Amino acid sequence: MNEQTRVKINQLPTGVPGLDEILGGGLPEFSFNIIAGAPGCGKTTLAHQFIFANATVDRPALYFTVMGEPALKMLRYQQQFTFFDAAKLNNAVRFVNLSQDLIDRGLEGVLEEISKQVEGVNPSIVVVDSFRTVLRSGMQESSEMAVQTFVQQLALLLTSWEATTFLIGEYSEAEVRDNPVFTVADGLFWLFQQVDRNSVVRKMQIMKLRGQASVPGLHTFRITEEGLQAFSRTLGLLGQRKTFTSIKRLSMGISALDEMMGGGVPEGDSLLIAGSSGTGKSLMATQFLAAGIRAGEPGIAAVFEERPNEYTARASEFGLDLQTPLAEGRLEVIYLRPLDLSVDEMMQEILDAVKRTGAKRLVIDSLAGFEMALAPAFRADFRESLYRMIFALTAIGITILSTLEMPETFTELLFSSYSISFLTDDIIRMRYVEIEGQLSQILMVVKMRRGVHSRDIRQYQITPEGIVIGERFRNYVDLITGIPQPLSVLRSEETLPNRRVEIPRADR
Amino acid sequence: MQALHRVCDKLRRPLTTLAGAAGFHSLLARALTLAKKESPLLSGWEVRSDGSLQGMNGEAVQSGAVLLAHFIGLMITLIGEPLTIRLVQDAWLDLPESQLNIEGGKSE
Repeated sequence: MNEQTRVKINQLPTGVPGLDEILGGGLPEFSFNIIAGAPGCGKTTLAHQFIFANATVDRPALYFTVMGEPALKMLRYQQQFTFFDAAKLNNAVRFVNLSQDLIDRGLEGVLEEISKQVEGVNPSIVVVDSFRTVLRSGMQESSEMAVQTFVQQLALLLTSWEATTFLIGEYSEAEVRDNPVFTVADGLFWLFQQVDRNSVVRKMQIMKLRGQASVPGLHTFRITEEGLQAFSRTLGLLGQRKTFTSIKRLSMGISALDEMMGGGVPEGDSLLIAGSSGTGKSLMATQFLAAGIRAGEPGIAAVFEERPNEYTARASEFGLDLQTPLAEGRLEVIYLRPLDLSVDEMMQEILDAVKRTGAKRLVIDSLAGFEMALAPAFRADFRESLYRMIFALTAIGITILSTLEMPETFTELLFSSYSISFLTDDIIRMRYVEIEGQLSQILMVVKMRRGVHSRDIRQYQITPEGIVIGERFRNYVDLITGIPQPLSVLRSEETLPNRRVEIPRADR
Repeated sequence: MQALHRVCDKLRRPLTTLAGAAGFHSLLARALTLAKKESPLLSGWEVRSDGSLQGMNGEAVQSGAVLLAHFIGLMITLIGEPLTIRLVQDAWLDLPESQLNIEGGKSE
């Protein structure tokens, strides 16, 4: 059917931040849905968020409770959430207990009472909590056919009365097969609570949603005093690739480095600064942000190893004023160290900050700190998650600078212990070298995906004015191993006839 | 005593809808237990399984008020004042809000 003749399915806001995106725009009106999951995973809270976001006095929500959590207890706890609006109780949101109907008259009694209430109240939303209790009781007393008929009749009734429905149940995944309720349902929301070592992560999956395309896969969510907040795997950013007609170069705040990079970092690139502890990675990242602020490009710093005030205080030691743009909203410092973070949640924080500040530059300092802040369950997928995050953020034109601490070896040059260099467009490597009995610092631009760059290995120093890049080390070889050889020594050895390496023996 | 009957009946309908007959019965039984400690005149009173009261034999009206105060106080403890007021208002739709003056967990 063409677009003009097919029926339009309205989408209702779920009231759960992030969930509408996952559902593909919202919950289909008049749909018959199941919220399933183990105890404590947030099923009742999700239903409450939905009803308080949508119910009105004219089209109220009917919330049927059956046997499970006592209604007064439910109200006691649910009112702790900020979305709970006491003024809606008993007019826009009505609670009806069906326990006695179930005990006295079984499925038939429950259906009768629901019909009576629905016809009397004309609700826009109906919730049955817990529906599994209703069916379990029916299965013990009636035939499978009777249960199937009950589900069918209930779905018919509620659809005919134009109600959007949620049936809540403590189902296990094994029950999906052969259970009539899952066949009849238009939408199936599965909530999980996974324990990994000492942390717990919450995930949800839209296993089924008729009429529209939802985002597949497992999405993390968190329950706070504001209720559920969901984090889409893609955060709705897939397919939003920003195209650049010409490559704009962003200054790193260090002119010699800009020259080495062919004019700066290309806008929308992901740049990795790799180096061992104390090489100045964080300082370079701070100079990059400060240069952006000076150029009228707001920025975000996601820091894991120091607090926002420590971050700006450290910048001021190098003459960089980040406190003013922070106060003025041109800079945000996101400090997250909860140890049960998900990458999606981090991304949501960044996206919210991008919306607030109009940020063009993002610093992640550091990737190791970021990984540590994640719940152990997410660390296994760190690379994949990072890939999604970098792809999504660069797609909307954000230029990302990540720092990565590398173990310093004096025999080889590693680019990344995480094997994540493939995720980045550009790489700068900073390291220590031993020159004449002292530790010196060198840096090099290892990779620039979108342009030519200098091949020089340059020495640099950390000064009160920031990083100052010096000349190329011309008189040494093997600089990248960390133990360079003076060229003069090598030349003199080359002139020696029959050059042999003598190994001193201890017994000589 | 007729008045107390009517009050309990008015409360019973919305609360049975909300919490079920068993829920209302539990609350009223608990309120009666607390009230009996204050008013020995209530010692013969019982809550029937349907949530109605039995054993009332014309004691002072004051005893009924003690029972109601405990009942409302119990609800406030469980679900807070705003929700309790909403539920009680529902039982007395014709009662002006100004007359529902709840202080320190007791209803006037």
